[in-house]
Amino acid sequence: MGEIRQIAIYGKGGIGKSTTTQNLTAGLCEHGKKVMVVGCDPKADSTRLLLGGLAQKTVLDTIRDEGEDIELDRIMKEGYGGTRCVESGGPEPGVGCAGRGIITSINMLENLGAYTDDLDYVFYDVLGDVVCGGFAMPIREGKAKEIYIVASGEMMALYAANNISKGIQRYARTGGVRLGGIICNSRNVDRELDLLRAFSKELGTKLLYFVPRDNIVQHAEINKKTVIEYKPDSNQAQEYRNLAQAVIENEDFVIPTPMTQERLEEILMEYGMMELADDYKI
Amino acid sequence: MPINLNNSNVATRENRIGSITGYVGTLKDLATQSECGTLKGCSRCFSQSSTCLSSCALGQLCGIRDVALIHHGPAGCSVAAAGAYYMSKVMSKKRGVTSDTVYVGTDMNENDTIFGSTESLRKVILEVYNRYHPKAIFVSSSCATGIIGEDIDSIVDEVKPEIDVPIVAVHCEGFKSRIWATGFDISDHAVLQSIVQPPREGVKTNKINFKNFFESARPEIIEIFKRFDLEPVFLYCNSTVEELSHLSESIATTCICGTLGNYLGNALEEKYGVPYVRSINQCGIEGFEAWLREIGKVTGRSEKIEEYIAEQRAVYMPQIEEVKKELQGLTAVLGMGPGYTFEVSRVLTELGIKVVWALAWHYDKKYENGDVPPSMKYLLDNDIDFEASVADQQNYEVMNILHKYKPDMYLSRHPGSTVWAIKNGTPAIYVADEYMIFGYKHTLEFAKTIVDAIKNRSFEENLAKRSKLPYTDWWYQQNVDKFLEEVK
Repeated sequence: MGEIRQIAIYGKGGIGKSTTTQNLTAGLCEHGKKVMVVGCDPKADSTRLLLGGLAQKTVLDTIRDEGEDIELDRIMKEGYGGTRCVESGGPEPGVGCAGRGIITSINMLENLGAYTDDLDYVFYDVLGDVVCGGFAMPIREGKAKEIYIVASGEMMALYAANNISKGIQRYARTGGVRLGGIICNSRNVDRELDLLRAFSKELGTKLLYFVPRDNIVQHAEINKKTVIEYKPDSNQAQEYRNLAQAVIENEDFVIPTPMTQERLEEILMEYGMMELADDYKI
Repeated sequence: MPINLNNSNVATRENRIGSITGYVGTLKDLATQSECGTLKGCSRCFSQSSTCLSSCALGQLCGIRDVALIHHGPAGCSVAAAGAYYMSKVMSKKRGVTSDTVYVGTDMNENDTIFGSTESLRKVILEVYNRYHPKAIFVSSSCATGIIGEDIDSIVDEVKPEIDVPIVAVHCEGFKSRIWATGFDISDHAVLQSIVQPPREGVKTNKINFKNFFESARPEIIEIFKRFDLEPVFLYCNSTVEELSHLSESIATTCICGTLGNYLGNALEEKYGVPYVRSINQCGIEGFEAWLREIGKVTGRSEKIEEYIAEQRAVYMPQIEEVKKELQGLTAVLGMGPGYTFEVSRVLTELGIKVVWALAWHYDKKYENGDVPPSMKYLLDNDIDFEASVADQQNYEVMNILHKYKPDMYLSRHPGSTVWAIKNGTPAIYVADEYMIFGYKHTLEFAKTIVDAIKNRSFEENLAKRSKLPYTDWWYQQNVDKFLEEVK
């Protein structure tokens, strides 16, 4: 039994981190991997597709209601394909401290022995903007060593990805955390593949996988399922299986080299527009 | 800078009046740079100690009789409660009054920090109000509530209809300022915002607001002021909420310490037109006379005051002159807050003692009205100079100075500081009571205390022989400013 691969997924809010993580998890399950998904977002919607709904009581709600003397099965539920699902949870919007919540809940998971040897993968699905130290908890010493950033060809997604890389660079200096690559969750913008390749190269990493846009993802979400569970024979299900394969096979882990705002804009100018792009007619 | 009582948040001394905690140089340079506006404080790459501004803010408010203080934070933040209780009980007993002031902590735990705990705070406020019937309620923040942005202002506003006494949010997160005296301003701001009322129409009074710490000279000052037909109202120790509500009606405000009184004095002047007595403070003869004369000028009582001065001079000056003979040529180092260190330096100079170094725990470049503190102006005008530094009770710097200069005495208003000097073999005088050098009588007593302290040095010598200090020879050979850094 090898070491557990602990992976943190970051990216701009709304880019599709949770969707990608859960579909990727389903793909890994088909490869016979044992996976735990830890949602690190106060909205607690990181495991909805694996569990078939938001049935999960969060770690922080459980601690609040029942105290710290709790059993692991009170906060961990089994989802699709035997995945273990945990939601950290957090305060209502506008009050308290969500960052502190992440710290408390990950500490609690460790104390309760959630990281068992039979696990192959642990995913941390982290709130979009890494606004404070709490949201960097999953990549601190002894936790996630691999990071994937979900991005698209949209300017703000790349800006966020570059910014997150600065955080990774900071923690990489002292800890073992490394960037494993960029996962593109396509938005069908101009020359998206070229742009993402160029952006990844500039960051010193690679485009791990390009997930095309397909409305079936939306259908599956409405049905509270991953695409692999909802339509196993669809093209998109195969894309997620391929993504899982890419993660399994990935051996390129780097300390990213974040770029200046000027350089980022240069890349966008160079790749981010089709010729005559402004000239199209509806 | 105008004082804004509509906002519950007070800007720090660093922001408001350019106060600093790091400087080594001379008094003249410090004062000149303050005056022309070029003074820039330094930071330290090593800091041995400091104090939390919340203990200054809440300690002051706790002295008010029959109020409730609700400290919204983890239990440890309320560590000052025991001391504040003790002080409140002792001071009221000493005065022969009772105080039922309570200090309550909300005991925030981890869950409260994550989820916010304004609902618990609301319950605590109502419970404190119903259980203790305080005459005013102060709801203070802490570092934890400050960081997570607990909206104590809204809670205070929301409970107001259910509470028929003044209630106010007090923002005193310790990390806001390195200068603990910012806490004094925060307490003044809370009192001004919630308790002080506009003057009642037609009310004539002979009251004078007197901001001090522990009112030890209360009976004496009442007697002196009676001669001038003035009635002092001492703040905040043993004040009542009723007294404080009428501060705006007084004919003037004065204080024992510029650091302590500056914010309240200027705010009352700016908002209600109550004149603030701006003079060097009451320590020593020069100070006492200048202060009395300024009160005479502000309140129109100069004649009576001149009579008093002449009478007291006749009694005390010959005695003071006699003791002074024994003090000529002695050397001193001081470490005090800026409201005292430059005042006591002046008194020592008056007594014929040579100040070789004065440390101020912080330094206010200018006071609220834009002027350089009067004590500095006095020293400059009188061509007095000595080495000076600003250090927030960095004991290692004090010890370095004492070791180098080997003065005949060290004076401090902070007890831990004097003990270290004694262990170093330096006679130390603990100027604890704020009235220790007040007026003619106490200046004479102070001079005699110095004579006592320096005549018999066997205690210091013996203690020094048996004490092993933690500082290395290396440190004693360094310059005092070794760990100072330019502010980036």
